[in-house]
Amino acid sequence: MTEDREVITRRDFIRGMTSAALAAAVGLPVIGCEGASESPPAEAPQGAPTARESSARVVLVRDARAVSGRGQLNAEAIEQMLDRAVASLLDEEEPEEAWKQLVTPNDSVGIKTNYWNLLPTPKELEAAIKRRVLGAGVSESSIRIDDRGARRTLADCTALINVRPLRSHHWAGIGGCMKNYIMFVRRASSYHSDSCADLGAIWQLPIVRGKTRLNVLAVLTPQFYGRGPHHFDRRYVWSYGGLMVSLDPVAVDAVGAHLLRTKRRQYFGQDRPITPTKHVAVADAIYGRGVSDLNKIELIKLGWMEVVLI
Amino acid sequence: MSVREVGWSLAVLLWTFLTMTGCQTGQTHMHRLIPREMAGWRAGDEDRSYDRETIFDYINGSGEVYLSYGFRRVFVRRFVKAGEPSIEVAVFDMGSPEDAFGIFSFEQEDANLNIGEGSEYAAGLLRFWKGSFFVCVSVERETPSAERAAVALAEEIAGGIEAAGTRPSLVNLLPEENLVANSARYFHQHASLNYHYFLADRNILDLSERTQAVIAQYRLAEGKSHLLLVAYPDAEKAEAALDSFLARYLPEGKAAGIAQTEDGGWTGARLHEQLVIIVLDAPSRGDAEALIQSVESKAEAENL
Repeated sequence: MTEDREVITRRDFIRGMTSAALAAAVGLPVIGCEGASESPPAEAPQGAPTARESSARVVLVRDARAVSGRGQLNAEAIEQMLDRAVASLLDEEEPEEAWKQLVTPNDSVGIKTNYWNLLPTPKELEAAIKRRVLGAGVSESSIRIDDRGARRTLADCTALINVRPLRSHHWAGIGGCMKNYIMFVRRASSYHSDSCADLGAIWQLPIVRGKTRLNVLAVLTPQFYGRGPHHFDRRYVWSYGGLMVSLDPVAVDAVGAHLLRTKRRQYFGQDRPITPTKHVAVADAIYGRGVSDLNKIELIKLGWMEVVLI
Repeated sequence: MSVREVGWSLAVLLWTFLTMTGCQTGQTHMHRLIPREMAGWRAGDEDRSYDRETIFDYINGSGEVYLSYGFRRVFVRRFVKAGEPSIEVAVFDMGSPEDAFGIFSFEQEDANLNIGEGSEYAAGLLRFWKGSFFVCVSVERETPSAERAAVALAEEIAGGIEAAGTRPSLVNLLPEENLVANSARYFHQHASLNYHYFLADRNILDLSERTQAVIAQYRLAEGKSHLLLVAYPDAEKAEAALDSFLARYLPEGKAAGIAQTEDGGWTGARLHEQLVIIVLDAPSRGDAEALIQSVESKAEAENL
């Protein structure tokens, strides 16, 4: 009926016998620990920071000016937030210096964005990232921005900036930085089984492996719950006015999942049924793509702290 | 095999056959169910249609929810009107009334609008089911006129669906006393169970497209409880599933079929013909046993 390996149940979770990653962040037991100490991708460019060597640092920056009462975005505030977050992430005083750690003039940079029409990556954020990549010496002709065509247009990039908004997702639990790379595979649906558990495998494919220099999870107007075929309901989108950045896609998603869970508890008085973000834990435990345990993630919070929730 | 088992098996076989073959009389007429004009809104872009292979082009990863039921095809028409938000109508052929109800129940939470067999409207999204069809009418942005048009569209579509449908008979086994309104979720697969109530990372109840399941919440005097019913193709499979559940989830309750768990709640499980009845997190042993007995009584009364 089921495979021989030990089953992890809700009761294990209640007993606290499962990974703190799930206990704290996603509510689902982690599958194992093998691979968790895997080395950084060998292909990572020399000198470029990686998720593992910088441990798991996530910077959350918020600004009350970033989203107006009517939902309009403030490009200037967003650029300042990005600068502050990236500088803090890499322990630099000036954001320009931080970006020089991330990309070099010799890089061909792909900005993997997200075009989902109901909640796309804000153009203001894409533009701010592009300006900073240009500022690091990368030529205009060496910068490409794409989502649906990424498998074709960003395949030969030497560096990737991974940026997308955070939202709840019917099947994967959250749409975050890990899931954003699904457009690099030919048949996305082949990664849907078991609540998209194996999204971490995509990050091992040659088309992306070792190329990601920065993950930016936009939490300007995140969606914490959804309904309907498109899993979208404007009641459950709120103005949070934040950005999260990290070198570690798993860590930034774990923090993002924690934020959505906390928001659901605040809004509903309980955590509404939502698919556990199994892929975040599996990306850590099985694929070694980063850290999913909130207790092992250094979360730096900057800026506006009103109703920060986490 | 008993008469009851034969009945359940035939229902499951029919469901499987319909799902696999895509054979359904209403399928070819889906576009006729949707008017081309309503209250000044007119069909805009070209109509679209997606099947089990292409549904991800329409709703990305959320398509898995539909595929976990007997989904066959969705027909989509977009309506536009100058100065007003657009309205999208999606008619899903779910293969059977049971699965049309199932996908409707998956996230049901609002009051019934009395359209079709069951309906609700909130925040610009109107959902209803009738016959083998599940229908969503969504407005891009809520305005009073768009909301009225959405309701009118839904009513006209519902009126065009000739065959009514009934809820899955399994759902009728849920005791009505203390049942939390709109909390019953009907489904087939392990992933769906974990969406509504995380039980285990492995499929310890052997859920599949050949099983029918419903989970619902109960508000009891001293707390909440969940009741899970799973109908298997035959009593042998049900017994194996119960054994698996007790061994992997409730080993201390293997003999009595009931035990108190770490959070103080009581969990119990029992076999009734090809039905496995599980009460989760009941406030007391008595509450758990009463719920199980109530289901058994209904099953006996309905000869299920």
